[in-house]
Amino acid sequence: MTQPLISVEGLTKRFDISRSMTDILTGKRPQLQAVTDVSFTLEQGQTLGIVGESGCGKTTLGRMLIKLIPASEGTILFDGEDISGMDRTAELAFRRRAQLVFQNPFDALNPHFTILDSLREPLHNARVPLEEHTMRIAEAMRMVHLPAPEHFLQSFPHQLSGGQLQRVVLARALVLRPDFIVADEPVSMLDVSVRAGILNVLREVRDRMGLAAVFISHDLALVRYVCDRTITMYLGAVVEDSPTTELVERPLHPYTKALVQAVPIPHVDQSHEPLPIIGGLPDSQNPPSGCRFRDRCPMAETRCALEVPLLQDVGGGRRVACHLV
Amino acid sequence: MLLEVRDLVIDYRATRGRVRAVDGVSFDVPAGAVVGVVGESGCGKTTAVRAITRVMASSAVFAGGSILLEGKDLITLSDREMQKHLWRDIAYVPQSAMNALDPVWRVGKQIEEVLVSRGKMDRSAAQTRAEELFAMVGLEAKRLRDYPHQFSGGMRQRASIALALALSPKLVIADEPVTALDVVIQRQVLDTFTDLQKRLNLSVILVTHDISVIAYVCDYVVVMYAGKVVESGPVAAVLDSPAHPYTMGLYNAFPELAGEERELSPIEGSPPDLLDSPKGCRFRARCPFAIDICTQDAPEHIIGEGHVAYCHRASEAHELRSAAKLTDTWIGVTSE
Repeated sequence: MTQPLISVEGLTKRFDISRSMTDILTGKRPQLQAVTDVSFTLEQGQTLGIVGESGCGKTTLGRMLIKLIPASEGTILFDGEDISGMDRTAELAFRRRAQLVFQNPFDALNPHFTILDSLREPLHNARVPLEEHTMRIAEAMRMVHLPAPEHFLQSFPHQLSGGQLQRVVLARALVLRPDFIVADEPVSMLDVSVRAGILNVLREVRDRMGLAAVFISHDLALVRYVCDRTITMYLGAVVEDSPTTELVERPLHPYTKALVQAVPIPHVDQSHEPLPIIGGLPDSQNPPSGCRFRDRCPMAETRCALEVPLLQDVGGGRRVACHLV
Repeated sequence: MLLEVRDLVIDYRATRGRVRAVDGVSFDVPAGAVVGVVGESGCGKTTAVRAITRVMASSAVFAGGSILLEGKDLITLSDREMQKHLWRDIAYVPQSAMNALDPVWRVGKQIEEVLVSRGKMDRSAAQTRAEELFAMVGLEAKRLRDYPHQFSGGMRQRASIALALALSPKLVIADEPVTALDVVIQRQVLDTFTDLQKRLNLSVILVTHDISVIAYVCDYVVVMYAGKVVESGPVAAVLDSPAHPYTMGLYNAFPELAGEERELSPIEGSPPDLLDSPKGCRFRARCPFAIDICTQDAPEHIIGEGHVAYCHRASEAHELRSAAKLTDTWIGVTSE
């Protein structure tokens, strides 16, 4: 078997949070654990979805994968190499091979830069020879189905529509021919009628360039359309990891079940059954003991309060963290 | 009919001229019904419904039409007379509850304020009513003493629903009330809202860009595009057999969680500039079925009971629907 492109082991992230006067006097450093013990692997050509409610740690996880923020514990191996201990050359190569697609295309581009400047900047930073720039830019523009005439490249972000801007943001990530991209809610700021275009481009580049991608979204319907495999996160921990079709059609973890049921569909005929889940996310600074989901879970037993359920292999390429599955 | 909006026209004054944001919009809200208004950003849906409350941007002007609330034209009323209808007859739930609630006041105080100043209640009656309202939307009475920042997004949205219901209005206008919420919370808030709507027999106008939300809660739907209504009617009829290519296109552009996996196709291009809107059908430039006659204004076409579409080819809707399901139909349409 080939070595996975990315393998994540025991990844944990803690943030320092603001200290009250008492904390300062007693020398306490309160922390918030945003991501807890996450492990998974990602192969070349695979798209992994990460779903969960806001505050579940999916964005933090994405940022660690791309080395925007360091992990508190655990390792991320990229092509067999630990990304935390890279020297300058290795780091430069990593930055070229791993790219991020931002959520809000209206913020992601410098308003004073023309589209051409924005696309050239990463090439410049990665020391790509000057004579290759035009060809690389044309190639990236073709991939995202944008016209590349001179006047388009000379326009400024405010002259483009949201859909066009997001394609430019994508092109900017692809211009370095990366092996890995992280797309964090790449269509949530766009109108419904243009979302499909961006999603189709993501599917095409995966198929054509064979790159590995992490697609972060709170919308399971989008994830279903783009991802081969999906991870459900709850309060910083992975509760389920399955091939996407299985996850959507036969969710195993009670939280994934609720997520699937909560998504409305565009047909009048649909279930109006109340969700089998109560309340909102608990306080992330004091998560419940044992299973983090237990206070909202319709099936919780005494055991769930005592033991933390581990993410266990249940066959069929699926992993679930629940005592009752 | 509780509310009849007829040929409503609203302009925004801009430096380069007037932008016609709402151009001849008509729809009805029967008593006790939930009417959804759906469209992309900039289609005029918010402008149209905000006009009903007359809480509008200072550059907005009424340029025609009427808004009849139980037969009384709201546009002709003075600001002072209009004030009497707000909260008591018409209430508004904004998209971001953080904007509806004052950050420096306790939530309970804000509800009581409305009850005392608008509803002429005394303090103790207002307090009891505030507790009752919180119970209705599923919040604990002790949370009345909290400030908005102590609430989660879902709780804030519940509080702003409670605020809107304070004086038992007949009509509630909710602008993207659940858009900013996570799916699970979104579903819970929608369930509370529809439950209250049925129990209190409220009439509701729900503005959203999400046709799934429309399908989940609405009885009628109005589809808007570039300032005009392109199709309207009972939800089942419009969603199951759309007669306007834009409605068909929206469907194909939308991934679903249930059912067969299908290819999505975006509607290429973007809506026209309303400062200089084209004559004829405004969807023409993005429409795969556009023909020569589409350069003329699209006539109203009655499809069925209460179901109308504004399209020259609405009589061929059946064939167009089959064609619209194919991804290829939507590729390379725009002439731009």
